[in-house]
Amino acid sequence: MNPAQTAPAENTNLAVGKRPCSRPGNRWGNRLIGILRGRIRAWARRRHGVDTDPVILSARRIYIVPSALGIAFALMLLLMFLGAMNYANNLALGLTFMLGALSLTVMHHCHRNLAGLRASAAASRPVFAGQRARFRIALENTARAVRHEITIANEEGSAPAVRLGAGERAILELELPAPRRGILKLEHFEIATRHPFGLFRAWAFLHMDLGCIVYPCPGARGLPPPPMETDTGGAQDLRRGEEDFAGLRSFHPGDSPKRIAWKNYAKEQGLHVKQYAGTAVTSHWFSWDSLPGMDVEARLSQLCRWIEDAHAAGHVYGVRMPVVDIPPNVGPAHRQRCLTALALFDPGTSRG
Amino acid sequence: MASRSAAIPIGHRFAAAARVSIPTQRLLWVVAGLALAVLPHLPHLALWTTSFAAAGAAVRIMIEVKQWPLPPRWLRILIACGALLGVLFTYRTLNGVEAGTALLVVMAGMKLLETRTVRDLTVIVFLAYFALFSAFLYNQELLRLPYMLLCAWLLTATLMRIHQSAADMPVREAVYLTGRMFLQALPLAALLFLFFPRLPGQFWAMPARSQATTGLSEEMSPGDVSELSLSGEIAFRAHFEAALPPPRERYWRGPVLHDFDGRTWRTARGGFIPQPLEIQGESYDYRVTLQPHQRRWIFPLDVVTGWHGRGISRSADFQLLSRDPIATMSSFELRSGTRYRIGGPLPQVMRNIDTRLPPQRNPRSIALAQSLRERSGSDAQFIEAVLAMFRDQDYFYTLEPPRLAADSIDDFLFNTRRGFCEHFASAFTVLARAAGIPARVVTGYQGGEFNPMGGYLIVRQSDAHAWSEVWLEERGWVRVDPTAAIAPERIESGIDAALSEGEPVPGRMLRASPVLSQLRLAWDAANTFWNNQVVEFGEPQQRWLLQRLSIDHPRWEYLGVALLVTLIGFFAILSSWLAWRFRPRPRDPVASVYDQLCAMLARRQMSRRPFEGPNDYLIRARGALPQLAAPLEEIRSLYVGLRYGPEPLDSALSRLKFLVGRLKV
Repeated sequence: MNPAQTAPAENTNLAVGKRPCSRPGNRWGNRLIGILRGRIRAWARRRHGVDTDPVILSARRIYIVPSALGIAFALMLLLMFLGAMNYANNLALGLTFMLGALSLTVMHHCHRNLAGLRASAAASRPVFAGQRARFRIALENTARAVRHEITIANEEGSAPAVRLGAGERAILELELPAPRRGILKLEHFEIATRHPFGLFRAWAFLHMDLGCIVYPCPGARGLPPPPMETDTGGAQDLRRGEEDFAGLRSFHPGDSPKRIAWKNYAKEQGLHVKQYAGTAVTSHWFSWDSLPGMDVEARLSQLCRWIEDAHAAGHVYGVRMPVVDIPPNVGPAHRQRCLTALALFDPGTSRG
Repeated sequence: MASRSAAIPIGHRFAAAARVSIPTQRLLWVVAGLALAVLPHLPHLALWTTSFAAAGAAVRIMIEVKQWPLPPRWLRILIACGALLGVLFTYRTLNGVEAGTALLVVMAGMKLLETRTVRDLTVIVFLAYFALFSAFLYNQELLRLPYMLLCAWLLTATLMRIHQSAADMPVREAVYLTGRMFLQALPLAALLFLFFPRLPGQFWAMPARSQATTGLSEEMSPGDVSELSLSGEIAFRAHFEAALPPPRERYWRGPVLHDFDGRTWRTARGGFIPQPLEIQGESYDYRVTLQPHQRRWIFPLDVVTGWHGRGISRSADFQLLSRDPIATMSSFELRSGTRYRIGGPLPQVMRNIDTRLPPQRNPRSIALAQSLRERSGSDAQFIEAVLAMFRDQDYFYTLEPPRLAADSIDDFLFNTRRGFCEHFASAFTVLARAAGIPARVVTGYQGGEFNPMGGYLIVRQSDAHAWSEVWLEERGWVRVDPTAAIAPERIESGIDAALSEGEPVPGRMLRASPVLSQLRLAWDAANTFWNNQVVEFGEPQQRWLLQRLSIDHPRWEYLGVALLVTLIGFFAILSSWLAWRFRPRPRDPVASVYDQLCAMLARRQMSRRPFEGPNDYLIRARGALPQLAAPLEEIRSLYVGLRYGPEPLDSALSRLKFLVGRLKV
């Protein structure tokens, strides 16, 4: 595993599976459809309630309507039918009936393509405010037949459709803008398919309890971090320190790249981490109280910036918040813990 | 290149980016599907329309390959307007099958030029469906059906592939899945076809197609019938209820010609008074199925006495005429007699028409007729004398007669002496008129090939024939066939036997080989069955079908309900089949036995904790339920062995099942 992977490098605003569908001429139509869709969704929610995790799509919660193409196809069939009847042309009529029967058959295929699908929430990676949260939803085909062209969608767009073989599982991602820190909820989404020919769209409304943690947006790199403090207190883990080399241990994901024994790695002795012993630990304390005179969000942003920088530099750091104290440590789990504390910080507690 | 890109408006930048989303392969498939669908139209569409579509496809493929920008909007609009005007100019209308099809093909070519999204590709597939559909309006032959079904199948598979947003679906999978869906839809389509009520008549009149066809017409010049005889095309088929008429009585009556200008015979308009008809022999009931020939004649056997159908009439000279030109394959139920007498006095008007000869034409023939008549005692003897002349002097029956001079009868009778049936019929009629006997030329068909496999007669264009009718005072109108005098084999066994080896008779080679001949007849029988049972399937067949289902007086409401019930039944079957296909995968038997065990122990307040493996759990259970210690221990070792051990034995599994099953009690 490459330790560099754990570094925070998610600043790019990737648009995965966004399907931009706004054509200027269709704006009013889209808005109308959006309102209608919202009404139907609300009704479906009242009907089915909030979903458990995992949820298995029963046939009765799958809705199906002809798509615009399906309506065009129906109009074409109607024209063909009139023509065939007018000319009393049996073969033309036969072709029309064949295509008509096919479209009705296809409707069932489209519906069944979704029925019985198993959906569950997969862990969504936290993002910083201002980025797009990507909710991950795992779809599993427990049936013996292949399911084609399954996608998830919300009003923001849809994920690229996937093919699920018998027993296969896939994780699909859905994006939602995350403007504010805290927990972003994916209130609703649809599992949809247009499988055989795009003539019908079958979908199910899902209301699962899906959340994604949104860290505060890291502030500008202006303010220098507070100086390192050497903590000789007994709160520290005895085995960890920064003074004397105490030996090597095997690498665990999350170890600082600075401590990797690269020489040993170059000698092909495996990836090891140098361990130091001693009671003294030099660490940053990022404290809420050290930033007076700023508003809550700015403070959090600044703390976030310091945490990110310290993490990137491999420094040891701890966070002091009005309610929680996170002792100094290193590693992605620690970073996540600290940032989550910032994300979920309730300003009401700071005064109390 | 640069100017082209500059011409693309800003708004198209996004579109140009979206263009990349059509993989080239999908475009090629759509173009191929369109080509297959348009192929049957090639013979009857103006060449430029199909070339236009082909050019559109070629340009679009080039654009895809070379990554050129799509043509700008103004250019596309310009091309579209040009194409529309072109169709309007070529066909003088946009209404009707031909112009409509041309428009369709041109539109498909246009659409290709602006194709950049899946939706555009889909529109082209829809246009291709329509092209398939309109091909049936031209031709409903048996072989068309498999071709069209194949095309529809491939087009639908293409439709499936272009709607795959994930990686390209393998062609084979798309074809297989679509084929299966077609098979599932087939029963419903067949039911709809059989029971959907057919409306009689057109409810939206469209201009008829102008199509050059071979067949008899309103006029006959020397060489017309012999030219027609070179065609092996089928004119019509006749199914007889009972016995067939003998070959020498198989005269199929078509246009009756009265006006002669010295060279060409024509039909006459008006001036005819119906004469009493008396049938003497037996009548024949039969059905004539005409190939479309765009004219009004129905070819009945000899003199028709009974017919069904609206808009059909019999003229005073016993032609059977349909009100509208016969533009589609049509069947008529008819009754005819071959022994009859058309009696009564001949009205003067008709006598005048049928004795008229163009003045100063064919003087030698007129002189010959007058001298012959003077030597004969009666009209009948005169006729005998003329036929004897044809028989005894050196006149020849041939498909390739020499060209005749302006006075065609003189030239034929005295110089060339070689002719086909129209030469003899024409000469005979002129001679009779010159002798003062009312006479007319009848064209039609004579003979027909019996198809033993289908039990019907096939009459081809090569059976086209011309003969005479003369008015004899004591007998009325009498058929005189001079060809029977010169070449009696023609009447008895057809054109093949009457002509020598060197003559170019159509299909002679085919008929020479018995195997090929049989095959040909079998193929024709299949086609005839197809035409009668499928192409002409309509209200009578539906009524018959309903009667077979013991619904004697069908009411449309009941039929509608029945259709609805069938539909629901069909959907129920389809749904349950699909549910069965999508049934859950079988669980691992060891796992399901273990689940069973866990559920059983949970009922005894020994639930498995989420973190507990089988060893920990079962050891804990053994401790808590000492009365079950022995079986639980065995179950534990069996389960661990089956789950984690090497090469599990079937006997171990059955032992495990047995033990768990016994725990229940």
